[in-house]
Amino acid sequence: MPAETHVEQTPMGPDEVLALIKEHLAEILEIDESRITRDARFAEDLDADSLALIELVEILEAELGERTVGFSVDDEDLAELRTVGEATDYVVARLGVSAA
Amino acid sequence: MTETKRVVVAVDAMGGDRAPGEIVAGAAQAVADPDVGVLLVGRQAEIESALPDGAAPDGLEVLDATDVIAMDDEPLSAVRKQKDSSIVRAVEAVKEGRADAIVSAGNTGAVTTAAVLRLGRFKGVPTPAIAVPIPVAGQHPQVLVDAGAVVDPAPERLAQYAAMASEYARARWDIPAPRIGLLSNGEEAGKGDELRKAAFPLLERIPGFVGNVEGRDFMHADTVDVVVTDGFTGNVALKSLEGALRALSGLVFSVLDGSPEAREASTVIMPELLRLAESYDPDVTGGAALLGVKGMTVISHGASSARAIVNAVAVAADCARCDVIERMRKAVIDAG
Repeated sequence: MPAETHVEQTPMGPDEVLALIKEHLAEILEIDESRITRDARFAEDLDADSLALIELVEILEAELGERTVGFSVDDEDLAELRTVGEATDYVVARLGVSAA
Repeated sequence: MTETKRVVVAVDAMGGDRAPGEIVAGAAQAVADPDVGVLLVGRQAEIESALPDGAAPDGLEVLDATDVIAMDDEPLSAVRKQKDSSIVRAVEAVKEGRADAIVSAGNTGAVTTAAVLRLGRFKGVPTPAIAVPIPVAGQHPQVLVDAGAVVDPAPERLAQYAAMASEYARARWDIPAPRIGLLSNGEEAGKGDELRKAAFPLLERIPGFVGNVEGRDFMHADTVDVVVTDGFTGNVALKSLEGALRALSGLVFSVLDGSPEAREASTVIMPELLRLAESYDPDVTGGAALLGVKGMTVISHGASSARAIVNAVAVAADCARCDVIERMRKAVIDAG
């Protein structure tokens, strides 16, 4: 089985991904998780700058990369993600692509 | 006799306009101090060919890193994509305990990004600030913070920057109680834009805060030791000072070369003037410090010479010895 498509564990669903994003983003931004909803906008509602988002991406890549080899986030795509919900859907989709 | 702790400084060999030659030469000179070791990070072959006498002196070790982040690379993606770059590897050396501090004359944004991502930020400090020493005749420099890291900070950040810079000044120059001023367009408490008006009451809780200062208070011994402001005005102020000094020194030297009498007088005055000019040379000040990350990070200016690197390594080593990072972290907590 090629390493790039090897799935270590069952891919995560949207709820699990959202929970993971909330947990790490709350830690990075030092805010309460309850503020981080699907509709929350990174810049306007959470005051998350690009450096904070890169921190989040690096953590997600490290953590999800252990479950799904080859998982990564493109920097170009990151600039398009405005809300927590969009980021969650993106990660779920990428996990699917990596697992395919 | 007190024993001096030996520290190792990771030096980015590939960063700066004059890398690797001047950086390598500076690193090789820096280890003349037996209490300082240097981990020189970058392309091994290029480093080795730039080493004086072709061999690493005692106390200098080379860590191979194949990528180079250019001065004009976009910092975030450069750090993400070039994981084997000299900047990223130098920062990781501190994280892994191989080095106690970092010196880089490379891409400031990339150094900041790598330090935040690999070393982490102080709790409560979402964005680090850049503290630059401003020369003051006859005494220790003033500290200007923030000199350009965050152009649009929240008022709370200025209070944090002040607390950290005050502790940094205390540690570096043994100033018992640094005086802190908020850069504004007037000395009265109500002066300034919305940021300054909101930051003022927060700064009043920081020990040593004396109120607003103006641009004219830079470089004067009887004003303040720390000037705090946002990264936008801080960078404008810094560049204005540099430009004014350059213009002034050009004028003075042109006058001294303007007539036979002046040239004759300059033979007496010139040695004193050159001595004075040297104290304003950015190669002498030892570079800027990144405040708010969990590792001593010194950013030397882009045109750093070997001499600038020697001084930056000495500053980084001194700061690592006196545990300035932990002291600043506590200062932020105390500032609330």
